[in-house]
Amino acid sequence: MSTMSVRHVLTTCPFCGCGCNFYLQAVGNKLVGVVPDKSDVISQGRLCIKGYNAHAFVQHPDRLIHPLIKEGSGFRKATWDEALDRIVSEIKRISAKYGPDSIAVFSSAKCTNEENYLMQKIARAAVGTNNIDHCARLCHASTVAGLVYSFGSGAMTNSIPEFENANCLLVTGSNTLETHPLIGARMLRAIYGGAKAIVIDPRETALSRVAHMSLHQKPGTDIAWINGMARIIIEEKLYDKEFVETKTAFFDEFSKAVSEYTPEKVEEITGIPKDKIVEAARLYAKSDKAMIAYSMGVTQHSNGTEIVKALANLALLTGHIGKESTGVNPLRGQNNVQGACDAGALPNFYPGYQLVANAEVKSKFEKAWGKPLSDKVGLPMTVALQLAAEGKIKAIISFGENAMMSDADITHVQKGFERLEFFAAVDIFPTETTKFAHVILPAACYAEKDGTFTNTDRKVRRVRKAVDAPGEALPDWKIACELGKRFGAPGFDFKSPSEIMDELASVAPPYAGISFDRLENEILTWPCTAKDQTGAKILHVGGFKIGKGQFALSKHAPPAEETSEEYPLILSTGRNLFQYHTGTMTRRSPNLEREAPEPYVEINNEDARALGISEGDRVRVTTRRGSIAPVARVTDRILKGVLFIPFHYAEAAANMLTNPALDAAAKIPEYKVCAAKVEKA
Amino acid sequence: MNDLGKKLTKMAFEDLKADYLLVVRQEHGDLAPAFISKDEDVGEVRFDAPYQLVTVLSRIYPHIPTGKIAIVSRKCDELAINELTKRGILDEKRIVKIGLACDGHTADKCRCPDPKPSKVDIGEPVKGIPEDPLVAKLMKMTLEDRLKYWVRQFKKCNKCFGCTANCPVCFCENQCVLGERTLVSEKSIPPGLAFHLVRSFHMSDKCIECGECERACPGDIPLLALRRMVHADMKEMYKFVPGDPKTVSPLLTTLEGEVMEDEHNVC
Repeated sequence: MSTMSVRHVLTTCPFCGCGCNFYLQAVGNKLVGVVPDKSDVISQGRLCIKGYNAHAFVQHPDRLIHPLIKEGSGFRKATWDEALDRIVSEIKRISAKYGPDSIAVFSSAKCTNEENYLMQKIARAAVGTNNIDHCARLCHASTVAGLVYSFGSGAMTNSIPEFENANCLLVTGSNTLETHPLIGARMLRAIYGGAKAIVIDPRETALSRVAHMSLHQKPGTDIAWINGMARIIIEEKLYDKEFVETKTAFFDEFSKAVSEYTPEKVEEITGIPKDKIVEAARLYAKSDKAMIAYSMGVTQHSNGTEIVKALANLALLTGHIGKESTGVNPLRGQNNVQGACDAGALPNFYPGYQLVANAEVKSKFEKAWGKPLSDKVGLPMTVALQLAAEGKIKAIISFGENAMMSDADITHVQKGFERLEFFAAVDIFPTETTKFAHVILPAACYAEKDGTFTNTDRKVRRVRKAVDAPGEALPDWKIACELGKRFGAPGFDFKSPSEIMDELASVAPPYAGISFDRLENEILTWPCTAKDQTGAKILHVGGFKIGKGQFALSKHAPPAEETSEEYPLILSTGRNLFQYHTGTMTRRSPNLEREAPEPYVEINNEDARALGISEGDRVRVTTRRGSIAPVARVTDRILKGVLFIPFHYAEAAANMLTNPALDAAAKIPEYKVCAAKVEKA
Repeated sequence: MNDLGKKLTKMAFEDLKADYLLVVRQEHGDLAPAFISKDEDVGEVRFDAPYQLVTVLSRIYPHIPTGKIAIVSRKCDELAINELTKRGILDEKRIVKIGLACDGHTADKCRCPDPKPSKVDIGEPVKGIPEDPLVAKLMKMTLEDRLKYWVRQFKKCNKCFGCTANCPVCFCENQCVLGERTLVSEKSIPPGLAFHLVRSFHMSDKCIECGECERACPGDIPLLALRRMVHADMKEMYKFVPGDPKTVSPLLTTLEGEVMEDEHNVC
């Protein structure tokens, strides 16, 4: 009897930033299931529904299996040589004609650290531009900008397990149980063990329903309630005087700036009752282990960077930072959005957050890569797409970015893609975006390659190959090496992801101590600066590397678009538990699609009644940019005057509606607020 | 390969003439299930992680058409295998058990009344915990307080379906009753009471009280206690305990011999 090969391959989940490890079960080359890892430090043998179904999309018949080249209105099959040569010759032609800064490269937070490192190296060392960016621009760009100002680092200050030992959780703009279920689980453990949670969100969430305080602010008014809390903490002398004096700067200016945010004024702006603001402020300030957790509800605003800084102010004021179960924790959305940033897939940073604008850094990388580099800071993805529509960006190479679903104001984004002279897309499935490509390359997905993802608490976690990629699909790191070589750039002869990590570690100090050998048996967290260290679990212990933590003078400002007579409601967008982002993977996973098969809009009971809308009605939601027709979910779990639409559904794409207004510092779009109207369809 | 690995491979492949062996081993510093054939190295075998190996097997089994499988079985695995072979899900002739007696720590953690398999091949048998302390505590509460307790616990459910995914005797695959929309709506979390009650009743003639649902629950909902309370009724009313190799579920037998008066009536 010939026996079958059965493998249980330890790897990291490809969905959210929790970074749960699990085993992929493979029989021969067929993936049959997911088994949780009982000994994993993050998941502890538990997973969310997406984790349990992380095998389901991998071997779906829709996978891209060979390179495609646009011909007429469709695509024809091409060889790898032809497709790669076409990309390189077109990019070279466009670069010669318009200069290298007419080209943009988008990498992907779904790809590994090693792949993101190579993608930014292609942009910088092969194409010659710093126009490299990825979807961090759409989620935590404002966190990086904000927390770098306040603390000197944009990362989560604590580790995931610490949530369960906090005695106060201030959670805002995060529907944690749906978007980071295994972090939510730690929060539940804290709450059921007696910790006090304050959840501030325009919607009631599964977490807010078990929280000590559940407050609902009008979308776009966060700075007002945050500054209001700061004012009370100062006025009632609940702040950490010694910490403020020795570890922070600009307290006096800050104190003066927040003095105008009286509870009465805050109630007027935010809708949160004034006594509740006072109670929340006292609770947060008086707790000895207080953790702030936030996500897109804070970052995705046209003043997102300022909201992030305002939250950081609270931690500086109370000294709630740099200690066990005490800190400021931006929860990263994508599995490897932290790592893609670390690896330098950002227009202003080389790997390891070293500034493009710094001449010394530039010469270090010129030496490492053997090529002269550009000293011009590159374009954020959102700006590059706007410039494409203006005809100023001429070519894009995109690894896995589904901008035609994920970027704000899709109609305008489409104009950009249509105007490009050349667009190359690398992906695992055909998407709304690959339609516009001149060349499409088929990529291997997470289950088909080796590498690392860095999760939201800075742990560098292994991704291991369980099955072969379908057809001729190749891992992105191999595609990047092939492109780099064909551009004639040195330093693209890697035989394995392990070799790429070694190079990343040699140029990025936070990763200096990390190697695949060590990851075999050790849990490593960055900053991990030496081979004999396992890295820092908590950041800013004993003080800030930048000298002093800096208070910011964040001011409340109205959102870029306010409601009007014609558009009387506020539309907010986001995710649900069962689908993930643009749905490319989850909508092809039957058990996930079963749970959330249809695009919907959440609308408050009273608003629905006034408009004659009942549960399950097909409705038309319209903004100044477009119109879609989801079904209505009528609920008292959303604030009156507010609508919520998840952005997973191509048949009613929420981003047809959203406002592309950008945060001045971080260039993140305002996904959380725009003016809308609803009517029965 | 460690000593335990050597002992198990000899037992599985020489004594029991199996073609495959399912164990838990140490890999990449973690504890991993491993399903190996005769010519593969079993590695560093461990038994201190209560993976429900029958669950691990159930997803692989449909893809392995032939061959005998040796599986390291605790008492609960043994009961699960009984329940599945009785129902024709697993082929009795293809499964051979290597009996593992759980240690005291595991028995405590699982609040297990009977941690000794019918045949002990490895491990030193210990005494079980006669009564689940949580069940005892809940039974002392008034019905009202008990309901309040469960409602508060169920608020932590985030619909991961880990209780079904990890259950060794959940075998409905794509026909899961929890996907039935009239019972469990597709709306957000937490799901309503029906989610937990429907599952409890649905499992009442299958659940072998291994507690894997409870261990897999991200919300720490004490699901094992819930199962046990339902089972106490099953035992009392029908004298039925799941996991017995012969006794058939009372849910399948209660109508036997009774007159079906309305059999020919058209509704």
